[in-house]
Amino acid sequence: MSATDAEWSGPGTRTRGRKDHRWRRLLWSLIYPRAAERILPTVPGVFLIALCMGIGMAAYNTANNILFITLSLLLACLILSGVLSWLNFKGVTWRLVVAPPLRVGQSAAVALELRNAKRFLPTYGLWFDVRSSSEPKGARLMQRARLDPAGGDLRLDWVFRPGARGIESIELASAGSLFPFGFLKKNLGGHARREVIIWPAPVEYQRFSVPAWSRPQGGDRVARIGQSGDLLALRKYSPGDSHRLIHWKASARLLQLMVRQFAAESQEGFSLWLESDAEVWSRPEQFELLCSFAVTLAEDLFKAGRLSSVAINDEAAQPVRRVTDIEAFFDRVAVLKPITRALSTGKPGAPRRRNLLTFIPDGARGVIAHVDGNKAASA
Amino acid sequence: MSTAIKRPQLNADELHQLKWLLGSVLATLSAWTVFFMEIDSWVLPGLVTLAATLAIWRPAWPARVPRLVHVLAFPGIVGYVIFDWYMSREILPTFIRLDLLLILYRLIGFRRRRDDLQLIVLGLFMVVVAGVLTVSLAFAVQIVAFTACALGFLLTITLAETAGDPPAAAGGKGEPRWAAQVNWRDLLARIRAVTDWRVVVLGGGLFAGVVVLSGLLFLAIPRFELNNSLFIDRLINRQTRTGFSDEIKFGEVTEIQQDEGIALSVDVVDRTQVPSMPYWRMVVLDDYTRGGFRLSPELRSQLNRAASRTTRLRGTARFRRDTTDWTFYLEAGVSRYLPLMGNFNGLFFPEPQMVGLSDALRVVALRADPSKMTAYRVTGMEFSAVLPDADLALKRRAADPAALATGSALSLAEADRARLQAMATEITEGRRLTSPEFAVKASTWLGARHRYSLQSSLPAGAGDPVVRWLASDTPGHCELFAGSFVLLARQAGYAARLVTGFKGGTWNGYSNSYTVRNSDAHAWVELFDDQAGGWLRVDPTPGALTLDDGTGGDEGEAALQRIVDNSWSARLESLRIFWYRRIVNFDMNSQVELARTAKEAVEGTSRRMRDALEGFVASIKAWLARPWDSERIIGLGGLVAFAAAVIVAWRRLGRVWWQRWRSGHARTAGADPIRREAGRLLARLSLAGGGAVSSELRSELERLRYGPRSTWPHPQAVFRRVRVELRRSARK
Repeated sequence: MSATDAEWSGPGTRTRGRKDHRWRRLLWSLIYPRAAERILPTVPGVFLIALCMGIGMAAYNTANNILFITLSLLLACLILSGVLSWLNFKGVTWRLVVAPPLRVGQSAAVALELRNAKRFLPTYGLWFDVRSSSEPKGARLMQRARLDPAGGDLRLDWVFRPGARGIESIELASAGSLFPFGFLKKNLGGHARREVIIWPAPVEYQRFSVPAWSRPQGGDRVARIGQSGDLLALRKYSPGDSHRLIHWKASARLLQLMVRQFAAESQEGFSLWLESDAEVWSRPEQFELLCSFAVTLAEDLFKAGRLSSVAINDEAAQPVRRVTDIEAFFDRVAVLKPITRALSTGKPGAPRRRNLLTFIPDGARGVIAHVDGNKAASA
Repeated sequence: MSTAIKRPQLNADELHQLKWLLGSVLATLSAWTVFFMEIDSWVLPGLVTLAATLAIWRPAWPARVPRLVHVLAFPGIVGYVIFDWYMSREILPTFIRLDLLLILYRLIGFRRRRDDLQLIVLGLFMVVVAGVLTVSLAFAVQIVAFTACALGFLLTITLAETAGDPPAAAGGKGEPRWAAQVNWRDLLARIRAVTDWRVVVLGGGLFAGVVVLSGLLFLAIPRFELNNSLFIDRLINRQTRTGFSDEIKFGEVTEIQQDEGIALSVDVVDRTQVPSMPYWRMVVLDDYTRGGFRLSPELRSQLNRAASRTTRLRGTARFRRDTTDWTFYLEAGVSRYLPLMGNFNGLFFPEPQMVGLSDALRVVALRADPSKMTAYRVTGMEFSAVLPDADLALKRRAADPAALATGSALSLAEADRARLQAMATEITEGRRLTSPEFAVKASTWLGARHRYSLQSSLPAGAGDPVVRWLASDTPGHCELFAGSFVLLARQAGYAARLVTGFKGGTWNGYSNSYTVRNSDAHAWVELFDDQAGGWLRVDPTPGALTLDDGTGGDEGEAALQRIVDNSWSARLESLRIFWYRRIVNFDMNSQVELARTAKEAVEGTSRRMRDALEGFVASIKAWLARPWDSERIIGLGGLVAFAAAVIVAWRRLGRVWWQRWRSGHARTAGADPIRREAGRLLARLSLAGGGAVSSELRSELERLRYGPRSTWPHPQAVFRRVRVELRRSARK
């Protein structure tokens, strides 16, 4: 099974079925199903059951076969309801698709993709309860359109707003349906869970007038991929590349299409060093502000092409050339926690770099960014 | 991603329209059950039908119903029900009319989900009550049609809800969007476009499965009988439609003969015991009043006093092993008197009945006219022409005045009595005849003076009407012949009484049962024969056998062949008998019997199979034990070689041909068996782990699964190698 297939879950996946074919577990699940996998009667269902009991009592009380027939027919209809409900779920698979980036306070789209592997039976009227660790109540996604057979697919969207940075767990709590007659509410466990990283929220900050922001010379030089400047490197052609970028000589030599990568205009870059000493950042909300500030500043500098490297605590500085580099930095900041350094180690000295961005608390709430020891911005 | 052509889908408005249509049909189906119940409520079903038709024709019309109607609906309905109950004093008909009113109200407003469900429950109530009250085969048809409609309705409700639109405005407040423009033809075309025939076939199959399953559940539901308590069939009063009551006027039995409907069906265990011309006695009328016969008040009160709640009655006939069991299914509305041919040993009901047995009359009567079909089983029933009454015979011999007066009272004016005496003397020629002799002579005398005709009338004039008729030569019907005979007999000094019931019937060749119709209604006479010690059946109607012993010259199979009915109506009638036998009359004993039969069938089948197998093994042993010669050895070798050749040919060629043929067929259907087999083996490989087969073999398998057909290696060879490797891997 491929990695992509493994993401799919639901009654239509094979592995789940195999696991559930342990008799003890199956029996126990029938006696005491999990909360998300119970079959509960609806109000009409309770009424129908009461009607069945009433007709049954009358049948036994009178030995009237007409009532026995009616009772049998009602029971058969209940069984038919169960069979149709099972057929409705059969062959249906689903998976959660989350499109990064996800940031605190910004709307994030989560898609639930449905697929029906049945040969000719469509699937109707499913619902899915999705929730995230920041929104435990979650939402109910309704399948309003028909899910066609033979591989037909549907996509249900859920928009939520992450509340905190870090690892967010998005879970399909249960899938259910009232199909076909609305007597029984059948729930299946969702068996789908995704963990995504929530980046810190962007914050507003104030820049101060320091020479580093506009220093024309000196400092680290940033070389990154761009559309102008010097030839930076060659790489393999990939669909979508402009034909004008093809390096024909190199392609002829290597027997495969190669394209040129140019360096963007080089500028003086900053090195960002983020320290998370628990002693310094003892207040959680101030620490959160630090993370948001650092990420916002790094993003702005990257967009301006002036971020040369990033470092967190004792790690070596990581150069930032591509988008993936800055995203990796954001991922690490998203899960950053205050650390306590051992006494013997002590606080390491600042890297010997120019344009070094560091952060210190500003009073009880604020955060100040320093460039080479000068106050450069505050949030 | 699906490659199939996208099938259109009904939108929310169309689903609501379909829901509306099905709801109207369901309401109509439910309301029509009233026609089976014979309840005095013909207006309301008509109104429901009208409202349903209007709802389909103009779905938006509930929006035009004034709001005041909805405001006044509840108090109006409650007021009507109270008034109805006050007037009729019958609970069940009142409830039924209430149900109809509620159904009607649900048709004049836009329904929400709750209202739709209420409509289904109201309809179910109607159908079940109709079934309980009538126990007719129509109930089976109706409940199946109702169930199909209700399930479709519920499915549409669920789909319409999941479609997401808000529910229709309730109570006619405003016109919902879906009702604004309804074109049923377009909707039908859309449904046709949406429908996949495979789904329809599956749905039909599932519904057939529901019917079969409900039948199995019906048979399997454990039965234990509780005490019968108040039930709905006792909440309704029903009058007998026919003339088989305590009192008849001349012409009433003849009126019954105009009705071709079925009155009685009889199951006989031993068909050879069926008499060729059975007389089904129901009512015995011993008292003559001017213009009619009646059951005397003493005997009537005696019969009523004898009534008790029971499931069995003990008769006066002795138990005999050679008699057969008779199961009667007496239709509703015929009579409270149960048809019997004579004395019996035992009479059994499937459920307790308020029933009485009159020893003097040898009749069995329920306390009230039954509102539904009455089933009962009779054992040891006698059907000879003489109904033994030893008690009365002994008393008459002892000159007991009460016994001598039995069946002899005659209150006539002197003039009538004189005219009657003259006729009696003419018949007996002044001699004292035995009862059989008098029966023959009187019947002959009557037949000579009067012709038989259903269209007869009593001659005008003064005096007793029967005496007037006797004195005339006017044609008459069976009641007049029988009534005249009774009067003549009593005047001549014989004890006689009038009996009404049925005569004859037809033998249903499909259900192997006796069918008696209302048109077989008849009246005859019982004349007490002191020598025989019982009541002698005499049928004075011309053309009838005067002193019939019930066999009519031929009996058993020959008699049945003469009256067998193989028409289409008999075919339909056999369904009704099946319904009565297997459904209505099904009880705990039947269930035990069914279980025993099933067990015996399984045991018998397994025994036969075991015997067949043992016989086969024995024949093989015997064949092997026979002396071997060259001819047998060559024959056996040839057989083995042929079998081996067939197996090899199949493995080499046949299977390949078969899969190719399937493959050719499957290409159009998208299910190539070779690709599927390759897919199955790949799945097994993935479970077995990566090292189960070589990468080369796996790539060949993947080519069979995914690659173009032109690049395929030999499929069977690859499959065989993979299977071998898989087995080897499993052993490791």
